[in-house]
Amino acid sequence: MAAIIRRGARVELQLDRGEREALLDIIDTLAPRLGSVERTVPRAYDDDQLDAEYARFMRPEVEASREADIEVMRESLRGDRDRWQLDESQALSWTRALNHLRLVAGGMLGVEEDGWDSTPDDSLLQLGEFQMLMALGWVQEGLVSALDGAQPPGR
Amino acid sequence: MATRSPAPVEAPVRREQVVRARGWHVVVWNDPITLMSYVVLVLRRLFGYDVQTATRLMLQVHNEGRAVVATQPREQAEISVSRLHAFGLQATLARD
Repeated sequence: MAAIIRRGARVELQLDRGEREALLDIIDTLAPRLGSVERTVPRAYDDDQLDAEYARFMRPEVEASREADIEVMRESLRGDRDRWQLDESQALSWTRALNHLRLVAGGMLGVEEDGWDSTPDDSLLQLGEFQMLMALGWVQEGLVSALDGAQPPGR
Repeated sequence: MATRSPAPVEAPVRREQVVRARGWHVVVWNDPITLMSYVVLVLRRLFGYDVQTATRLMLQVHNEGRAVVATQPREQAEISVSRLHAFGLQATLARD
């Protein structure tokens, strides 16, 4: 059963085998869509010329950072373990990677407005993207709480 | 002997113009996917805001659709936006 606990300067993540494998599957499913879903290629300027300059000089760095964060998460999940001690840098990489993956899932679902998760209908609940979005959100919420010093509940 | 008072001398008028350095706004936009708690964490980590300030800005993003989270020289603002993008937030630059 998953749990995220602050332990001193580190964040302990506990996942059983099924949860670990599910997260790896989610990464394999969503990561290849990074850069093709609109939200994952954000503009920096309204002005097209300025934005093109930003895309040329800054976006490669942003994308490299994103790939590195996802690799940190993927690497953490490899191996037959059920708990991990993440240092602050690793935990932040996880939160960023989780957010990028959630942006992909949300884009695939076509989420455009707040409140999409408050009263989901049955058809939405059945969609794999919705389930991935919620699972990633639970882990991300736990990590954010742990990084901010609050103790998130276990599940 | 009569004495005369010296004519008053007016102090020179200094017409210094206070020129405010113009900067660029770093604007964070609402995104229905991104967790509110995560936005607070990012604003605290990137800009050093206390939890109250970061929460106020996050709520402004949520309720009004956007918030100016910093005003900086262009180069610095562009770096801030790229860092926000690296965290997966929707952020742009706008002239002050």
